[in-house]
Amino acid sequence: MADLGLTNLKVNSSPHFSNGERPCDLMRLVIIALLPITVYGVILFGMSALVQILVSVVCAVAFEALFQFLTKQKITISDCSAVVTGLIFALTLPPTCPIWQTILGILFGIVLAKGFFGGLGSNVYNPALAGRAFLFVSFPSSMGASWLKPGTDAISSATILSEIKEGAAAGNATTYLQYFFGNRAGCIGETGIILILIAFVFLLITKVIDWRATIAMLATVAIATAIAGGDALLAVLTGGLVFGAVFMVTDYATSPVTKPGRLVFGAACGLITFLIRKFGGYPEGVMFSILIMNSFKAFLDNLSGRKYGYKKAGAKK
Amino acid sequence: MKTYTFKGGVYPQERKELSRDVPISEVIPSSKTVTIPVTMGGATNVPVVKVGDKVVKGQLIADSDQFVSAPVHASISGTVKEIGLHLVTGNSKVSCITIEGDGSDSTAYMEPLDPFTCDKNDAIKRIRDAGIVGMGGAAFPTHVKMAPPPGSKIDYVILNAAECEPYLTIDYRVLKETPHKVIDGLSIIMKITGGKGIIALENNKLDLLETLKAQIIKENRSKDIEIRVVKTKYPQGGEKNLIKACLNREVPTGGLPANVGCIVSNVGTACAIADAFRLGKPLIERPLTISGGGCETPKNIVVPVGTIVSDLIPEAVSIKADKVVKLLSGGPMMGYAMVSADFPIAKGTSGVLFLTADEVNMDAEIPCIGCGKCIESCPMGLSPTLLVNVLKVRNTDKAKKMGLMDCIECGSCAYVCPANVPIVQKIRLGKAILKRQMAPKPAAKPAVKPVGGNA
Repeated sequence: MADLGLTNLKVNSSPHFSNGERPCDLMRLVIIALLPITVYGVILFGMSALVQILVSVVCAVAFEALFQFLTKQKITISDCSAVVTGLIFALTLPPTCPIWQTILGILFGIVLAKGFFGGLGSNVYNPALAGRAFLFVSFPSSMGASWLKPGTDAISSATILSEIKEGAAAGNATTYLQYFFGNRAGCIGETGIILILIAFVFLLITKVIDWRATIAMLATVAIATAIAGGDALLAVLTGGLVFGAVFMVTDYATSPVTKPGRLVFGAACGLITFLIRKFGGYPEGVMFSILIMNSFKAFLDNLSGRKYGYKKAGAKK
Repeated sequence: MKTYTFKGGVYPQERKELSRDVPISEVIPSSKTVTIPVTMGGATNVPVVKVGDKVVKGQLIADSDQFVSAPVHASISGTVKEIGLHLVTGNSKVSCITIEGDGSDSTAYMEPLDPFTCDKNDAIKRIRDAGIVGMGGAAFPTHVKMAPPPGSKIDYVILNAAECEPYLTIDYRVLKETPHKVIDGLSIIMKITGGKGIIALENNKLDLLETLKAQIIKENRSKDIEIRVVKTKYPQGGEKNLIKACLNREVPTGGLPANVGCIVSNVGTACAIADAFRLGKPLIERPLTISGGGCETPKNIVVPVGTIVSDLIPEAVSIKADKVVKLLSGGPMMGYAMVSADFPIAKGTSGVLFLTADEVNMDAEIPCIGCGKCIESCPMGLSPTLLVNVLKVRNTDKAKKMGLMDCIECGSCAYVCPANVPIVQKIRLGKAILKRQMAPKPAAKPAVKPVGGNA
């Protein structure tokens, strides 16, 4: 055989093609989806919100790099997942949260909930939510006792959710619109429902996320609230429900990968949210419902769709 | 016109423009020598010639007494120079017969046989005698498909003109240049099996529609041959997916297309069948695409089976050797990366690709991020990431229940994987382990400790 000079041949298993989409590309799309919400949050709640967000993002990246450096791992901050965690975490905080608490919360999320579990893809609990839950139980006074009204310095003691809980609130066309466009007290990023929905559509079109868990969660809350005699639309528009359903329930590592698993996951998150809102000790249940369901991720992955060549769904499971 | 498709799949870049407009040319290897694998599809064959024997083009050189096997014939006339191990597609070394050509044109074909008047069993025997196997890549002996298990009735013969692998254009060229032969081959399969014909054409080849329609009308077959346009999507040409797309039927797990009344045949196979009857010519020539960014002369050629790829260079094919990082036998989604060009083109070789670093994926694997894109893309409805997880702990029982053996290894999952996990490689390994666990253990020998078993 003639020497052809083919000296660089690499041998591996097929396929030899890839669509070239890497985790950093997906994370970048999530960041793009979050940007309008972030800007709107800053417009609504002012400079303190901006500081929260910047501190959270910078600390998230720094803590991840530091943890990986100290534990002698490859530093993977270029995948942008820490930026996403930091951003989402900040957007779920009340604008009045003290900065040192923000730093503590993101430290908990990045290091305890993500790093110690093995990093991106291996974490059981959503890092941003784990950090928030840590702050929520440690510093209840700054995490929900007082709320800033958008565009003012006025502090109110309650959001619409606690008023609903006390039976003091009812929706009308004006309040629906007000909530839809985000002009209400709440966490930095959770109020601009319209922008969150636009982000949802954007993430669906770019195929970053799947619709199932999100829709299942929103539908379950609406239906359960309606059955219980509440205002279904108000229940969806208030609190962190839409934000959580779009950005938290669809988190890759902490939600099921199978389609039926995602439906059940979303529905269960919705049901627990409703139960906490209706009967629990807190006005809002989105955070705890998702964290509870995170524990069931691996179990729910047992629910798979029908395989080609098999008769009934999951019959041979 | 309705476009048929299936669930799942991916949309890789097609890159067919490199070679799609180059007519098929006949090429003889520069060394005038061929190295023919003794077995190409089915059970292992035994050579029936010896070193030093004179052989004539078309003469039987290897055969087996098993039903699921396909004989092999000399693709050129000359002298048997060597019978020994040689590198083949898949990077293993298997028994091959090397024939040094004498340049003569003499042939030893069978007598032509009229497929429409002969007995069905004679027709099936002819297909076996001609050594015809599936030319799409799997190289399954075709006569076995023609004799479906008792109780199953074939009502459709699907001609697979999807050609969904990127780069490959040989089926397109064959359809364009010799539509009469393809339709003739399809008609013969329909005669033998009693099924109606469907030509499944991907909608990136719609320019063939009129040619094929005209040919069908010319042969007066418009009543029983229908063209179905399928979506340009990978793996549209996968047998099971094509059946689902065209007929909305699913081959039961572990079953054959015949179980749902179908036979799927490749374009090249149909032509080979036509030649086997009309000319008495066995399967000794292979049309294929030579392409890729590292190939300066992408083209479609037909060569004698057993042509060593390096014997095509530089006379028929010029390459940029320093740029080539992967040499593939087959397409980029399911083909084999070869260690050298010193391997023969076999009956199932549909293409040889010389790919550069810009074209292939060379990224490193990182941990799964749990996005679920592999599940979305799986045309078989499997959960590749979860399969990989259970195989990681060698839980083959669970993997089997999750459909490990149903995987068609199309590579859609690994193609979309952001973490670049070599999912197909892991699944292949899992299949191999499971097969070994299920194989009956020889009673006399002491138990061999399974490598990486369930222990």
